[in-house]
Amino acid sequence: MSDRDQAADWVARMDSGNWSEADEAALQTWLAADPRRQGLLLQTQAAWMLPDSVREPDVVETPEPANDTRGKWMRRGVLGGMVAASVAAFVTVRTGFSRDAEFVTRVGEIRRVPLDDGSIMTINSGSELKVSLSPRAREIQLLQGEAWFDVAKDAERPFIVASGPVRAKAVGTAFSVRKRDEGVEVLVTEGVVETWSDQDASRRLTVVAGERALIKEWALVHYREGDNTPVDRALAWRNGMIDLNGTTLREAAEEFNRYNQRQIVISDPGIAGEQFDGLFKLDDPMGFAQTLKVTLPVAIDTSDPSTIRISRSTEADSQK
Amino acid sequence: MEDGTGPDLRATLERRRALAQWVAREIMPHEPRIRAWFVKRRIAHDVIDELVQDAYCRVVMLETVDHIECAHAYFFSICRNLLARRLKRQQIAPFDAISEIESYRDTGTPTPEEQVATRLASERVRALLADLPERCRRIVELRKIEGWSQREIADHLGITEKAVEKQVWVGVRAIRSGWDAIDREPEAAGDNRRVV
Repeated sequence: MSDRDQAADWVARMDSGNWSEADEAALQTWLAADPRRQGLLLQTQAAWMLPDSVREPDVVETPEPANDTRGKWMRRGVLGGMVAASVAAFVTVRTGFSRDAEFVTRVGEIRRVPLDDGSIMTINSGSELKVSLSPRAREIQLLQGEAWFDVAKDAERPFIVASGPVRAKAVGTAFSVRKRDEGVEVLVTEGVVETWSDQDASRRLTVVAGERALIKEWALVHYREGDNTPVDRALAWRNGMIDLNGTTLREAAEEFNRYNQRQIVISDPGIAGEQFDGLFKLDDPMGFAQTLKVTLPVAIDTSDPSTIRISRSTEADSQK
Repeated sequence: MEDGTGPDLRATLERRRALAQWVAREIMPHEPRIRAWFVKRRIAHDVIDELVQDAYCRVVMLETVDHIECAHAYFFSICRNLLARRLKRQQIAPFDAISEIESYRDTGTPTPEEQVATRLASERVRALLADLPERCRRIVELRKIEGWSQREIADHLGITEKAVEKQVWVGVRAIRSGWDAIDREPEAAGDNRRVV
């Protein structure tokens, strides 16, 4: 590896948070071999510090008190006069280095973002998307996860959400798009959404309020209201809730696991099919597990801090 | 630190990082202008590279930078002194050229170029970052804008920490060579200039 490449390697390693005494010793050995390397290392590490000085965003995100508890816009180094006063009503944050606005949420984070055109986007846990608004078009790329869109009417500019080959187009509506393993799911709460797959743009599926569709590369699966979970239940996450109605334990655990670091594990496949109802706070998997005990014959093992293990309880357990 | 290393090691890393940050903020934006001064005096590009690198070696040796009032002026004077010494050793430059370099004094008041240097550098770096390869750029953003650790990035993307470290390496190299090109812009423009 050339000196320059090696210097970059040292910088990346120091940045990883895993720097050990052995690493430091190896670095000293490398530096000692050529006096110029000290300067090279400094230049290289300084280059890695350059992005820190360009972090100020062009504009500021409207602070949303409800879900934005971490005050992420503060952490982005928004400084001085831009912060408090002069926040325009609907403004997009240019948080990334790319020319589009990008948004990333962590597990358990739900963020509500007003867009420049008056639309509002609510981004669910563990998601990533890119927003590109131009005079001719409004385009969102959903790279991971799920987001719900309340789209401002603009006949001149259709609002199109793309996820892989799938497209969902709206003129003035409210709908959500979720990237799943088996395809892209579109749920419409208001208005009409046209969906299709890039692979065959001529076959389009119209989804209206109360309906949901699952679009795969070569198939369009359409659910009408009454099948599985109605649309507003599926979007209860926007209010920090999970709404279950005849949902199996397996499905419920999957939902909770999307939002929480502490994962629910069902140890007995036999109980995974048990069904139940309820409205739960999505950031409280323990609360959910406790409630289960009341209605189902389960035992809960919380000895491992990273999991909540649910199993069928024995006679002995139920005497406790 | 997660692997339980001693406080001395952490202090060493922090000092190194703080110095690099000081260089990035206070000196690097002025590099193009400083380099241009040497180009004007017909110093070869690779010699300028060496002067700059040697000057940074001097900076590394400093115990503290608190006493330095104007970082880029300080850095510039180190480069000039190094050049003067080199010329004397080589005995090729005329005496008055050397004395001109040695006796050069910064005016003390910031020139217009100095004043815009930081903003200009910011804009250039931003453009540079926008051109990073996609995967690398996303990781650099999560690290630098969102402030996530490499481990948090690995968790979020479902890849190993080693893979994240590798992309950081790609990013560091790309930013470094991108910056080198920015550094040399005045040189590219000035190549057609006659002897001053």
